Amino acid sequence: MSAVGADCRITPFRVVRAEWSKLWTLRSTWYALGGCVVLTAVVGVVIAVSAGDGPRGPSDPVELSLFGLNFAQLVLPILGVLVTAGEYSTGMIRASMTAVPRRLPVLWSKAAVFGAVVFGTVLVTAFGVFGLAQLFLSGTALAASYGDPGVLRALFGSAAVLALLGVLGLALGALTRGVPAGIGAFVVLLTVLPQLAGTLPYEWVDTVVRCTPLPAGQGLMAALPQPDSLSPLTGLATLTAWTAAALGAAGLLLKRRDV
Amino acid sequence: MIEVHQLTKRYGDKTAVDGLTFTVEPGTVTGFLGPNGAGKSTTMRLITGLDSPTAGHARVNGKRYADFAAPLREVGVLLEARAVHAGRSAHHHLRALAHTHGIPRSRVDEVIGMVGLREVARQRAGKFSLGMGQRLGIAVALLADPATVLLDEPVNGLDPEGVLWVRRLLTSLAAEGRTVLLSSHLMSEMAQTAEHLVIIGRGRLLADTTVDRFVREAGLGTVKVVSPGAALLAELLRGPGVEITGEGHGTLQVAGADAELIGTTAARHGIPVYELTPHAASLEDAFMELTRESVEYPAAAQGVAV
Repeated sequence: MSAVGADCRITPFRVVRAEWSKLWTLRSTWYALGGCVVLTAVVGVVIAVSAGDGPRGPSDPVELSLFGLNFAQLVLPILGVLVTAGEYSTGMIRASMTAVPRRLPVLWSKAAVFGAVVFGTVLVTAFGVFGLAQLFLSGTALAASYGDPGVLRALFGSAAVLALLGVLGLALGALTRGVPAGIGAFVVLLTVLPQLAGTLPYEWVDTVVRCTPLPAGQGLMAALPQPDSLSPLTGLATLTAWTAAALGAAGLLLKRRDV
Repeated sequence: MIEVHQLTKRYGDKTAVDGLTFTVEPGTVTGFLGPNGAGKSTTMRLITGLDSPTAGHARVNGKRYADFAAPLREVGVLLEARAVHAGRSAHHHLRALAHTHGIPRSRVDEVIGMVGLREVARQRAGKFSLGMGQRLGIAVALLADPATVLLDEPVNGLDPEGVLWVRRLLTSLAAEGRTVLLSSHLMSEMAQTAEHLVIIGRGRLLADTTVDRFVREAGLGTVKVVSPGAALLAELLRGPGVEITGEGHGTLQVAGADAELIGTTAARHGIPVYELTPHAASLEDAFMELTRESVEYPAAAQGVAV
């Protein structure tokens, strides 16, 4: 008989290792991440090529080249929902929780692994697509380089915003414990409700809407100051607070509820 | 050793497990028996900490499951409900669980071989048949070579060859000194595998006994004898392993001697016999009798018109 190993205690690193393995052994991860990378690149190039035609589209060089990330803002949080809610819908959660009965390390590791993977993927994509788009924008008003003010911050900011939104989706999946419910919660709470509220003619409603997760990150994703959005730093803090609150609630309920 | 003490679990106003107390000793296979809905799966979920008890506690080797530093090493569990992501292969499922305990890949390959899934280990588990799913579940239970094994309805969906394999596996695990708890709603399955029996119904303990004692008390192999010389016949039949009851009314219930022996003995001594009826109550009958009151969804007693 082959040895099981003398030291087989659960450690934080081992749980992270397990969640890393779980993430990459499902096809949905490859499809979603790959789709986001390809679409962001294609949209970025198409927009850059057609940008010389007129003053349509975003006037911010980073926002313009990464316009395809709007798609990722929906897809990656849905992938986050799958990371947690997918375990409940398939029954995998029972295996995960008998392997790590303290439960919380599983949630923290999922969030850390998924957040890091999204951050890394979007960061590489953002740097690549920005550079690619700029090949078509030299000589126009949207020409910019990595060294220009705000550009690096916007590229890193885009990765951070997507990572935080992804982990927010992961937390919503853990709270709702169902894939349709988790995706529904994300779409309704983050896109439909703020949009409906935005039609109301009150100033304070606009302020509240600006502080909801999706708009909060907009300032961080652009190189130039965005008058209608929170400042980059405030936006980052606001989005982080939303994600931390959702993840905290998910942790509390995970510890309390029966699996 | 598994100790369950005054274990109670309520879901809303439904009591699934009700003040259950029993002990599962190492070195023998203990059968955990009860009709569907008796609370077997809930008890297993409580032992492994998936659900928390409303009252009482369950301990394995003196500890709460969640307090183990390496729980898979202590307790291997196969739950009745599916516990695999349909989109992941058997190999990757086991690898992911192995990672949490730092169990090497060689051990993963080994358990895959043990349960006979080598050819399909790279296929998505969602494509598995019920029997293959059970084999994968057993591989998970054995992954860390645990000292205690809990299996909820392990032979469900297995073919006869698989059923035999599970029986031999459980017997050999117990022979190695491990604690083995095996649940089933089939008495016949238990009689083949288990030595000790814990029988529950509606969440309550009905019997904590051995298979041998249960068989004896169920009145298996008794023969009803009606004879005017009953007292003399009883005297002649009495011996080691033979139990005789109901003397004095010309009627005997004889356990431990078959109709042939009784008839021959009576003939040899010229004792007239009016009736000689082997009573063939099966284990299944005895189990049904015991749990009749606690069946969750009894079928209608009358026959259904066809």
